[in-house]
Amino acid sequence: MRNKSVIIEAKDIGLAIELIELGARLQLLEVETNLSRERLLKLYKEVRHESPPKGMLPFSTDWFMTWQPNIHASLFMAYYRFLKSHTQLRGLELIIKSYRMYLDQIKRGGMDTVLSLTRAWTMVRFFDASMLQMATCRECGGEFVAHAYDPTRGYVCGLCHMPARAGKTRRAAEAAASAAIAAA
Amino acid sequence: MKSTDTYNDIKEVNLSYLMLAQNMVRSDREGAIFRLGISEGIADVLGRLTPGQVLKMASSDMLLCNFRFEDTLLLDLLANHERDRGVGHLHAAILAAGRPVATMS
Repeated sequence: MRNKSVIIEAKDIGLAIELIELGARLQLLEVETNLSRERLLKLYKEVRHESPPKGMLPFSTDWFMTWQPNIHASLFMAYYRFLKSHTQLRGLELIIKSYRMYLDQIKRGGMDTVLSLTRAWTMVRFFDASMLQMATCRECGGEFVAHAYDPTRGYVCGLCHMPARAGKTRRAAEAAASAAIAAA
Repeated sequence: MKSTDTYNDIKEVNLSYLMLAQNMVRSDREGAIFRLGISEGIADVLGRLTPGQVLKMASSDMLLCNFRFEDTLLLDLLANHERDRGVGHLHAAILAAGRPVATMS
């Protein structure tokens, strides 16, 4: 039942454009809209002026466990879970809204966008499939993304116990160096 | 400070708060629910208030918005500037999302 109604197709195109602008991969668009692959491909090129990235979607839950991705993923899940319990938003709408709030927060903090929309969407599916769970930090009481079936008693989050080299990326070092030169 | 000054200040804060909250609810309902920490019921009431009702509410001698975060950890995170500010606020947002919202009974 593909594209029977023009109105539904128009809505799908609108949704697809919004998703592409937020950085969705083609696979996500194929699952969430009823548009054909060819149409999505054309749409993608029109919106982004480039071909969509090829290859499979990331499928490992391990990515969400390293320090920086984990706090970004946990922030997204915090919004997602809040909006799920306090508003009527569900499904893709809920993901989009949570993702926009995540982007807002990151932008205001002057941080890099670590979590892409496709990653966020994949993560929600990992939660639905019980491959991930939320663990409560023993010190701050916040909830953080963790592997399902991992013991969560005594869990301490990456923000209460920052690893020594957390956030000290090469780019941060370069930015600090150039700032020092500018100040000198 | 004379008590009439205080009343005027309270009225002004109330008015600003109600107008801000109403704008937030009308332009981005779900975002407002998180940022204001209120339930959908309260958001609906705020969105529906007429200018006359807003004025009437604001002129009460009680402050309409109360302190939202009671726990010291959250206050600490929001006020602490020693750490990277972005990370502190990010941590606070994660904690705030787990807190209950104001509801009407």
